[in-house]
Amino acid sequence: MASSLLWLTPLLSFAIGLAMLLVRDRRVLATLDVAGSLVLLGLTLAITGRVEQGGPVSALGIFRADHVTVLFLVLIGLLAVAVSLVTVGWMRRELARGQMRAERLRYYYALVHGFLATMLVTVLADNLGILWIAMEGTTITSALLVGFHGDKHGLEAAWKYIIVTTIGISFGLFGTVLVYGAAAHAQGGVLAGAMNWSSIVAIAPRLDPGIIRIGFIFVMVGYGTKAGLAPVHMWLPDAHSQAPTPVSALLSGALIKCALFGIIRFHTIARAACGPAFSQGLLLTFGLVSVVVATPFILAQYDLKRLLGYSSVEHVGIIALGLGFGGRLGTYAALLHVINHGVTKALVFLVAGDAIGRYGTRDMRVIRGLLGIAPVAGTLLLMGVFSLAGTPPFSIFISELMIIRAGIAAGRYVILAVFLFAVVTIFAGFIHRVGQMVFGTADASVGREPEARLPVLGLLLLVAAMVLLGVYVPAGLDRVLAHATEIIVG
Amino acid sequence: MSVDLATRLIDVLGGLLLFSTLLILAAGQLFRAIYAVAVQSVFLAIAGAVLGAATGNPDLWIIAGITIVVKAILLPWLLIWVVRRIQIPREIEPVIPINATLGLAAGIVVLAFRLSASLGPVRQAITGNALPVGIALILLGVLVMASRRKALVQMVGLFASDNGIFFTGMAVSQGMPLIIEIGVILDVVLGALVMGILVLRVRSSVDTDIADLEDLRG
Repeated sequence: MASSLLWLTPLLSFAIGLAMLLVRDRRVLATLDVAGSLVLLGLTLAITGRVEQGGPVSALGIFRADHVTVLFLVLIGLLAVAVSLVTVGWMRRELARGQMRAERLRYYYALVHGFLATMLVTVLADNLGILWIAMEGTTITSALLVGFHGDKHGLEAAWKYIIVTTIGISFGLFGTVLVYGAAAHAQGGVLAGAMNWSSIVAIAPRLDPGIIRIGFIFVMVGYGTKAGLAPVHMWLPDAHSQAPTPVSALLSGALIKCALFGIIRFHTIARAACGPAFSQGLLLTFGLVSVVVATPFILAQYDLKRLLGYSSVEHVGIIALGLGFGGRLGTYAALLHVINHGVTKALVFLVAGDAIGRYGTRDMRVIRGLLGIAPVAGTLLLMGVFSLAGTPPFSIFISELMIIRAGIAAGRYVILAVFLFAVVTIFAGFIHRVGQMVFGTADASVGREPEARLPVLGLLLLVAAMVLLGVYVPAGLDRVLAHATEIIVG
Repeated sequence: MSVDLATRLIDVLGGLLLFSTLLILAAGQLFRAIYAVAVQSVFLAIAGAVLGAATGNPDLWIIAGITIVVKAILLPWLLIWVVRRIQIPREIEPVIPINATLGLAAGIVVLAFRLSASLGPVRQAITGNALPVGIALILLGVLVMASRRKALVQMVGLFASDNGIFFTGMAVSQGMPLIIEIGVILDVVLGALVMGILVLRVRSSVDTDIADLEDLRG
C-alpha cells in the first residue's frame, strides 16, 4: 500500500493535469488546482510518515523514497499548495489586465500540474535514468510555461532556458552512463536494478575511482546547469524573471532544488567511491563561484524579479558550499537551507508578483510605498527579504550560521572569508533597495484593490514555515534531516 | 560476430561519427549541417546493430531501429520543415571563424582521448574507443552550439551531442536498459518539438531568429 503511493503521487498529479485540459470554466480550474495541490501535499506527508516509521520504501524497482527524498517531496507539496492559493488572486488580475487569455487558461493549469508531476518523479526516482528523464521533463514543461505569455522577452528567456539546460543536462546523462558502466563493471555484468541508485551506492566502495571522477564532473556540470550554479547559470535570471510569477516561485523554490537532489545522489556515490575530498572540492568551487558571481549583479539590479533570480544563484551556491564543507554539520545545514530557501524564495516571488501587478512595473525605483496600499504584502516582502539577506530571527540565518560553523570545522578559512564578504555586501544592497519599495507613499495611479483572502492564506502558510524554522527546528524535521545526513555522509 | 571484429567495427564507426560532427562544424550552409547530423545518426544506428550482434542483446537492435526512425528521419525532417516554413537565410554566420573552430575541435578530440587513456581496467567495460569518442562528440556538439548564432544550428549541435551520449551508452556493458533509452529518446523528441514551437512563434511575431534575441542582460 505505502509503496504504491510512490508512483500514485506523480501519476495523480499528471492525471489532474490531463483532466484540466477538458475543463473550460475558470472557477472549476482554480478549484481543481487548489484541491489537487492539497491532495498532493497530503500524499507527500503520507509518504513521509511511512518513511519515518519504517525506513526507505521502494516501488516497481525504479522508485524509492528515503529521508533525503521526503525533504524535497514535502517542499514540493508545500509550495504547490501555497502557489495554487496565490494563483487564484494572481490569475484574476492577469485576466483583468489582458495578460492571460481566458481560452488558454486550461493549458496553463495543465502545464503547471505536468510540471509538478515531473518534479515529483525526479525526487522519487531510484533508477538514475528515470531521474534524468524526469529532469528533462521538467525542462520541457517549464520552458512552455516560461514563454507562456508569448511576448518577445518571455520567448527569448524560454529559448535560452531550454537550449542551455537541455545541452547542460545531457552532460548529466553522460555522467550517469559512466557511473552505470562502472557499476556494471564492478558487478561483472548487468544485474537487475543495475541502474538504481540504491544498488550502485551499496557497491560504491568497489567502483573504479577514475571513471567515477569523470562521471561526477559531467554530472556536476550537467545538473549544476539545471540548478543554476555559476558559471553555467546564464539562463536562470532570464527564465526566473520572465516566467509568470507563480511559475517563478516554483522554478526558484522547488525546481533548482530537484537538480541539487540529483547532485546529492551522485555526490553520495562519489564520496564512497573516491573519498569525500574530490566531490566536496568540486562542490566548493561551484558554490563559491556562484556566490561571488551573483553579488555584483544583485547590487546593480533594478528589475525586482531579476534580483530574485540572482539571489537564487547565490543561495544555490550557499547550499553547494554547505555540502562542500561536508561533515555532518555541513550536510545537515545544506539540507535545511534547501527547505529554508525554497520556502522563503517562493514567498518573496509571490509577494513581488503582487507588487508588480499593482504598480505595473518591475523597476524597483518606481515601486514606492507598498506598505501603505497593501499592508500584508508589504510586511511579508520586508520579512522575506530580511530572511533572504540572512537576518535573525528568520530561517535562512539559522542554516547560514550552521554552514559557517561547518566551514570553520573544516578549516576552510579563505573560502569562508570570501563567502562572508559577499553575503554582507548582498545584505546591504538588498535592504537598501527593498526599504525604498516598502516605505514612502505610492502614486495615485497604483492599484489599490484590497488583498484577497485565499492568496493571503497561501502567503501566510509560507511565512509561518519561515518564521517557525527561524526559531527552532521541529523534532520531526530534525529526525528526518539527521537521517538524511546519515544517508549522504554515511 | 566475434568480439574482436565488433571492437574494430565500433572504432571505425566512432571515427565516422567524429568525422560527421566535423562536417557540421565546417558546414557553411544550414541544410548541409542537417544532412550531416542525419548521416551521423545512421552511423549510430549501425553501431547499435553491430553491438546487438556482438552481445546478442536484442534490445540494441530495437534501439538501432528507433534511432533510424527518430534521429535519422524524424528530427532532420522536423528541422527542414521549420526551415522551409520560416524561410530564413540558409547561410550560417559563425561567431568564430570556421578554421579556428576546427582547430579547437582537434584540441577537444586529443583531450578526450588522453583523458580516457588515463583510466584503469574499467575501460574494458566499454567497447573499443567508445568512451573518448563519446566525450569528444558531446564537447564538439557544445562547440557547434556556442560558435553558431542560429537557432536551428544550435539544435543540430544538440542532436550531435546526444548521438555521442547514445554511442557510449550502447557500448557500456550490454547497453543501457531499453526502457531508459526509449524514455531519453522521447525526451529528445518532445524537447525538439518545444524548441520548434518557440522558433516559429518568435518568427511569426518579431521576425528574427530566436537565437539572435538579446534584450535580456545584466
